[in-house]
Amino acid sequence: MSEQQSFMERHHFLLRRLHSLSGIVPIGTFLIVHLTTNASIMWGMANHRAAEYAADPVGRGVATFQHEVNFINNLPFVFLIELFGLWLPIAFHAVLGVMYAVTGSRNTRAYAYGGNKRYMLQRLSGYVGVLFIFYHVATLRWGWTFLVPGGTEWSSQFAASTLAMALRGHADHFSITGLFVSLLYFFGVSLLVYHFANGLWTAAITWGLTVSRAAQQRWGYVCATVGVLLMAAAWSALGGFMFAVNVQKAETVEGVLYQEHHGEMAPDENAPGEPDLIEPQAALSTNRTDG
Amino acid sequence: MTTATATPPPTAGKAMRTVHFRIKRCDGPGKPSRWESFNVPIPANSNVISCLQWIAANPTTADGKATTPVVWESSCLEEVCGACTMVINGKVRQSCSCLIDEYAPNDGDTVTLEPMSKFPVIRDLWVDRTRMFAALKRVKAWVPIDGTYSLGAGPMEGPRASETRYKLSECMTCGCCMEACPQYHLQADPAGWETSFIGAAPISQARLFNDHGTGKQLKSERLEALMGPGGINDCGNAQNCVQVCPKEIPLTESIGAIGRAATVEAFRRFFMAK
Repeated sequence: MSEQQSFMERHHFLLRRLHSLSGIVPIGTFLIVHLTTNASIMWGMANHRAAEYAADPVGRGVATFQHEVNFINNLPFVFLIELFGLWLPIAFHAVLGVMYAVTGSRNTRAYAYGGNKRYMLQRLSGYVGVLFIFYHVATLRWGWTFLVPGGTEWSSQFAASTLAMALRGHADHFSITGLFVSLLYFFGVSLLVYHFANGLWTAAITWGLTVSRAAQQRWGYVCATVGVLLMAAAWSALGGFMFAVNVQKAETVEGVLYQEHHGEMAPDENAPGEPDLIEPQAALSTNRTDG
Repeated sequence: MTTATATPPPTAGKAMRTVHFRIKRCDGPGKPSRWESFNVPIPANSNVISCLQWIAANPTTADGKATTPVVWESSCLEEVCGACTMVINGKVRQSCSCLIDEYAPNDGDTVTLEPMSKFPVIRDLWVDRTRMFAALKRVKAWVPIDGTYSLGAGPMEGPRASETRYKLSECMTCGCCMEACPQYHLQADPAGWETSFIGAAPISQARLFNDHGTGKQLKSERLEALMGPGGINDCGNAQNCVQVCPKEIPLTESIGAIGRAATVEAFRRFFMAK
């Protein structure tokens, strides 16, 4: 009707469908990879190839997780993969998602149907999820340590131990801020898993894969299964890093892997360290560029 | 009246009971709304319309003040025309099929009536539903048969297609699906109708006519309208529409079907359009 259509209006269909697609590829696909990688702290306990690094199950989990992290960090063009495969798609999905979500309203009180509640939760989980992802990436990837309880800088070489510290705020117990951050992770990750599973369900309607009510129900069971499995991966990973990992033992295992990886001990000079820490802990202060 | 105080069974009907009606009133477009209450004696088998008729004949509020009769719209009184759609106890439905024995079985029960919130109020419970008819025009919800000569008989339709389309054809453009939709909003200015979310009913009507042997000639134009702003992609899949549809039209299936047609149309245009 009006001559002057905005960019958003002119490309309405394409942008809407790209928004839908980007939630599955690459973001949803990455979420699956990321959560199964994190869950290696648990499934790694059954990884017999990690037995040479640690006798105890948790140690095998730490070694397996470190092995996974090393694999990712050794991918070629890892920064470009991050930029074009993750950050830009997530920014695109988040910005458009918020623009679309604000066109909705909430009427779950009057119309308390399951579908309506899922619709509402999809938008809520989007809002919370994007804030959580920003905190997660800013603290653990971009090194905004002033936002990390205890000021721990996450190290890709000492992945499990520094992550446990960054979640708990302390090596062996939860600080108040650590508890807060751990709860943020629990809710943030759970909401994002929901967002993906429910988005997978609605995307099938959007693209017209599921038309009949029976097809939507069948696909709903598939999406719910995906959601439950991912939730199990997410919760077991969080449980592992929050409660199972012994920071000092993990550092020992990671120190051995570091040595194997780099052919030398983890650098300990210039490390402020902490008096009660054993030697490989010193490498905590090194950042990922050392690798 | 005294006999009615002893909780009558839902369909007793012998004893008159009194039901309290809370009605959201408005004197005209743009005027402020206010609540008024009425105590209505209920004979057996009353519906909301018969109660509104009683109020029209006895326009006195519960606290004894004289007021104007409450205005509402209704026509068929058998849930076929959709004119008497309003929000009853917080949910949208037709008032003619809303039985007081179900909604207010006991003496002193309250029934709350409001106009639909997604359409501009003309007066009291009467709303302006012009936008829904504009939406039907937007998706060209008709079969193009106008011409200078007879086109002869239309194509045959198989029983399965007929069965699917018959259900869709029952839509009475009542507005329930729009009222319950969290993506559909009040848009008083007709200039905004073309780009605001169109709602489930016109999407379903587009499917009805796309699947018609002759109506499919306009399929591409209908999809064009539905692929733009306010079309199929603005649906948020809350699926309230199918829950509140009084005709039980599979509106979410129509949304999925139009979504599929739009996907195919987009690929067709990209790879095949000249």
